[in-house]
Amino acid sequence: MKTTQNILKHIRSLVPADRKVRIMNVCGSHEHTIAFSGMRTLLPESLEIIPGPGCPVCVCPESDIINAISLSTRDDVILVTYGDMLRVPSKEGSIRSRGRNYRMITSPSEAVALARSNPDKKIVFFSIGFETTTAPTAAILETGVPDNLFILSSHRLTPTIMEVLVKDQEIGIDGFIAPGHVSAIVGANAWNVFSEQYGIPTVVAGFEAESLMLGITEILIQLKRGMASTGNVYAGVVRPEGNVQARAIMDRYFEVADVNWRGIGHIPASGLELRDAHAMKDARKVFGLPEIKESHIPGCLCGTIVLGKAYPSACGLFKKACTPKTPKGPCMVSMEGSCNIWFKAGSA
Amino acid sequence: MNYIEIGHGSGGKLMRDLIQNLFLKYLGSEELKPLEDAASVKIGSAEAAMTTDSYVIRPLFFPGGDIGKLSVCGTVNDLLVSGAVPRYLSLGVILEEGFPLESLEIVLKSISESALAAGVRVVTGDTKVVEKNKCDGLYINTTGMGEIARQLPVSNVSAGDAIIISGTVGDHGTAVAIARHGFDIQAPVKSDCSSLTDLIIPLFKIEGLRWMRDPTRGGLATVLVELSGAAGLGIEINEERVPVREDVRFIQDMLGYDPLYLANEGKAVIVTSSESAARVLESLKRHPLGKDAAVIGKTTAKFRGVRLKTKIGGERALEMLEEEMLPRIC
Repeated sequence: MKTTQNILKHIRSLVPADRKVRIMNVCGSHEHTIAFSGMRTLLPESLEIIPGPGCPVCVCPESDIINAISLSTRDDVILVTYGDMLRVPSKEGSIRSRGRNYRMITSPSEAVALARSNPDKKIVFFSIGFETTTAPTAAILETGVPDNLFILSSHRLTPTIMEVLVKDQEIGIDGFIAPGHVSAIVGANAWNVFSEQYGIPTVVAGFEAESLMLGITEILIQLKRGMASTGNVYAGVVRPEGNVQARAIMDRYFEVADVNWRGIGHIPASGLELRDAHAMKDARKVFGLPEIKESHIPGCLCGTIVLGKAYPSACGLFKKACTPKTPKGPCMVSMEGSCNIWFKAGSA
Repeated sequence: MNYIEIGHGSGGKLMRDLIQNLFLKYLGSEELKPLEDAASVKIGSAEAAMTTDSYVIRPLFFPGGDIGKLSVCGTVNDLLVSGAVPRYLSLGVILEEGFPLESLEIVLKSISESALAAGVRVVTGDTKVVEKNKCDGLYINTTGMGEIARQLPVSNVSAGDAIIISGTVGDHGTAVAIARHGFDIQAPVKSDCSSLTDLIIPLFKIEGLRWMRDPTRGGLATVLVELSGAAGLGIEINEERVPVREDVRFIQDMLGYDPLYLANEGKAVIVTSSESAARVLESLKRHPLGKDAAVIGKTTAKFRGVRLKTKIGGERALEMLEEEMLPRIC
């Protein structure tokens, strides 16, 4: 508690009096800690901590969800995916409400086991997420999967979306808190581009409130000194080079692709698809899945919220028509979605 | 057309609305209206406390208990927190065709042991069998009757009272979640399922005792939100003082649930005058079930609702969650 108070004092002394400072986090677990610790109630008003695109469930394209629903209605298919994906709404409903043959899994190895125990079915693993979930999917491919297991890849790259945000003047980011888990894979060096090319201090932080506040402190120190570099207050877990072996395996199976982000749109070189050499595992190719045009959810601000252009509380549906029980937009579904976190953490 | 959703049974806002809008519309007796855990009833000149509860937990057997033990402890605890000494239980059993007799015997043995420990006698019962797939193995309903020792209406609660929890929160919800989902987690988390008879009865003679509730479905947070509404007072809780087992906190962090909203089956939230708080705490700590008891906050007239002071000194509001956090765990 004493340490916390000291860090807070330091933060207050570093915040400039004459302007707003906007620091963005890009990790649902970071936002969870910030919201549940009531951190914002302790920070000076001129310091804004903005939740950015930290929720892979929220940015997964509607097209992939609709394709997943339709795959699950085939008699010869069992669709498997992470729990939150079952509840994400689309214009065709959710996998849980409209799908037929689907299972929730908590790790890709369960998909392998299911494929082995159901040799007469085609198991489609709807694999989504940032670098942290790509690595385990690549790992099962590396160790070998049965012929009846296919991957519907909806993986997204964190550094690419952050670069999109930096270029968007409307958001105006002064500093980034870089995600702890993603950094463990991509390495702290992956964020050098932000300080070197855009002059934005970027600091990797862990998941305790103190770690996040230390990260914020370091960003503020850099801003005060008029400098920018990559910092790392989570060095016990995150190495500068990251997990080289995991990245090598990911690279063997996945290649960078131009993909859609829900609510945001088409972003070049921002996703991962299976390489052509593994086309026989690629559900998109094997099942000839179409690209379906995204629909807009009336009143829903998810796309704006994901980009850090609005807080969940600015949405007219928030806590009214849209709740974790009846989510209208994807950000209310996952425990990593800003709207879900803000709903559960309550307001101060 | 509106339909029953699973969340209507989760003890949160949906259920509250269902009871207020539908049940009380047709069944608003004086005894029912206060919606306390147990009702005060009069038969002739004799007064008694009466409560009922149904148990549909899945799985039937979980670390730290089973549906039999739960069906005794849950009902007994409802009587105790209402200020009554539990005396008699009824036992209604709904069995599914094909249910193993051996399992039934284990459950009945558990009921017998739990009733003995809780100081109640099963005095009447009913058994029904439904066709295969018409219920989930076994459902139990118990009704409890007890002798009123203290009147503890919520109107007793005033600003400045201390709020005490009798032990760690979230154990039951966590143990059942692990057992149900088959998570491969090696943690010695057991349900706290137990009757609070020996823990609570000594409190009845402490003068400043105001109000009690067992934080089952919806957990500690839901009880506090309800208390705040019913008493018309604000509640300030200090997160750091709320006892949570280290392994429970870790597992719930991983699953994304908040221990404050998880079910407990052997805990009591106790409101006392600030002067009596030390005595209540001392009495609780004398019993093994109360060794982790702690004063976690106080009531205040300064605001309405429940505010949680976080570990780092921040603040957030605790609200009634309408979501089903972990369905059917009690």
